[in-house]
Amino acid sequence: MNPRTRHALEFVLDNLVWFMLLFVLVVFSIFIPNYFQLGIFANIIEASSVLGVMSIGLALVIIAGHMDLSVESVAALSAMAVGILFCSSGIGMGVQLHPEWLMVPVSLLLALAVGGLIGAFNGYLVVKVKMSAFIITLASYIWVRGLVLVISGGRSAQDLAPAIRWFGIQRLIGLPLTAWIAIACFVIFSLIMAKTPFGRHLVMIGGNETATFRAGIRVNRNLIIAFVLAGAIAGLAGWLLAIRTSGATANLGVGLLFNAFAAVVIGGVSLKGGVGTLPGVYAGVLLLSAINTAINLMGLPANFTQVIHGLLVLAAVLLDAFKQTIRQRLA
Amino acid sequence: MSEPLLVLDNVTKNYGAIEALKGISFSIGKGEVVALLGDNGAGKSTLVKIIAGGLEPTSGRMLFEGKEFLARSPAEAKAAGIETVYQDLSLCTNVDVVANFFMGREITRKVLGIPVLDERAMEAVVEKALASAGTRIPSLRTNVEHLSGGQRQAIELNRFVHWGGKLVLLDEPFAALGVEQTRRGLDMIRQVASQGIGVVIITHIMQQAFQVADRIVVIRQGVVAGDVARNKTSPDAVINMITGETLAGAGPAG
Repeated sequence: MNPRTRHALEFVLDNLVWFMLLFVLVVFSIFIPNYFQLGIFANIIEASSVLGVMSIGLALVIIAGHMDLSVESVAALSAMAVGILFCSSGIGMGVQLHPEWLMVPVSLLLALAVGGLIGAFNGYLVVKVKMSAFIITLASYIWVRGLVLVISGGRSAQDLAPAIRWFGIQRLIGLPLTAWIAIACFVIFSLIMAKTPFGRHLVMIGGNETATFRAGIRVNRNLIIAFVLAGAIAGLAGWLLAIRTSGATANLGVGLLFNAFAAVVIGGVSLKGGVGTLPGVYAGVLLLSAINTAINLMGLPANFTQVIHGLLVLAAVLLDAFKQTIRQRLA
Repeated sequence: MSEPLLVLDNVTKNYGAIEALKGISFSIGKGEVVALLGDNGAGKSTLVKIIAGGLEPTSGRMLFEGKEFLARSPAEAKAAGIETVYQDLSLCTNVDVVANFFMGREITRKVLGIPVLDERAMEAVVEKALASAGTRIPSLRTNVEHLSGGQRQAIELNRFVHWGGKLVLLDEPFAALGVEQTRRGLDMIRQVASQGIGVVIITHIMQQAFQVADRIVVIRQGVVAGDVARNKTSPDAVINMITGETLAGAGPAG
């Protein structure tokens, strides 16, 4: 095999999920009437912003060799905190700040802080007390959702303050600002993972924690930061979710965790840690969103989505194994 | 013997009721190569981990360059100038050769105040280091998982030669190497020692110890069973020390 085909093949393997996305979009555009429209594509990006942001945090922790099952509940708690303070009906307290724009940074900081704190709690128990991340974050997944029910009393908050809502309404080149926030997050965190020592260390910790410890990398510190980031990013996802629904309900975001897992796995992140990139995860998120949109347009019952997502995760894992065999032949 | 670099004074390590090290005392001079020999379970690897900051001793003290020394983590040992090559390789196979070479010591440049990896500078350094050691690896950008055992070990060895420091600990560094690579590895050790760096090498192969070491220290059941200059002993005498048939030349070094 000459070097050029080899390079081309490696490029395709590295970006396989993007090619899958392209393929799916082309097929849908050909076979589904009305699919090929700018509005539809904008909608795919828009609908994936909350899931996308949440997937970033989950991917960071998984790449570092751990697990965070609590992201969905953390997003819900952040959304509920924002909803209770800044919604004017339901259980909303309708807090007003002057000038009005001040509500934006305050609500955002609140959401990030709620998420960051729970992330720090998870991280401390996993890293310092050396408990299994799966169990700790499963516990958080349950008690944080419980907390949402407790503080809301099972009721909902509606009519988010217009100053905050503005991010969901104001559009820039056809996309609402919330979608741009998600895209910006992907760009920033992709750069952090690929270009900074912190990102490099997370990948190496996921690959061989003992080796990084022996090399003098501060493993515990890096891992705790990863958990705090995952929590804070989930908080941001919650903030976006509150804007999107103009409030918060007690069961807000239920099921997002499994979609985030699907997106992360489809995006090429290995659950064993150390493998995967964030642009791939974004492609995974867009792929799920593109399929959801197709199901809607074809008028299939929405229940089909879950079947298809499940099969897609299976396909992604099989594809990953297949990729490994090809790579071994290349090397 | 030249000026002592590291002195171990009655270092012990207990795991619960088990005494892995019952009191080890010996010293390593600058530019000296010490071969640490002993049967399986004699406590060699435990000793290396204590010096390298992976384990804390139960009692005893160490002097490094004349000063009281105790590394609580590998990072502290590294900062003091102690490099370690472990028996089970310390490579991250999911990243490339360059990333492994610079693990924890990446070259960065500031972009808007944020440290950004300087891949080109790092690649140039690795290329030079590997070339001068005669190690051939097809692409520095291949992930280490695709490399052979010998190539992986070569990366580790080149890494310690490059970073140097003041003291190098090698725990069975040649386990996966071929004959020619082993010879080159032994040359590397002599070359490193000639720069005034102290070297401790653990090995099972008597021939290697006699090829490279200035002094041979034998550990048996957690104590120093022998501490002799290479040119004053023979492989047979050392084997007797390891198996415990004789305690000739035993006792801690002064």
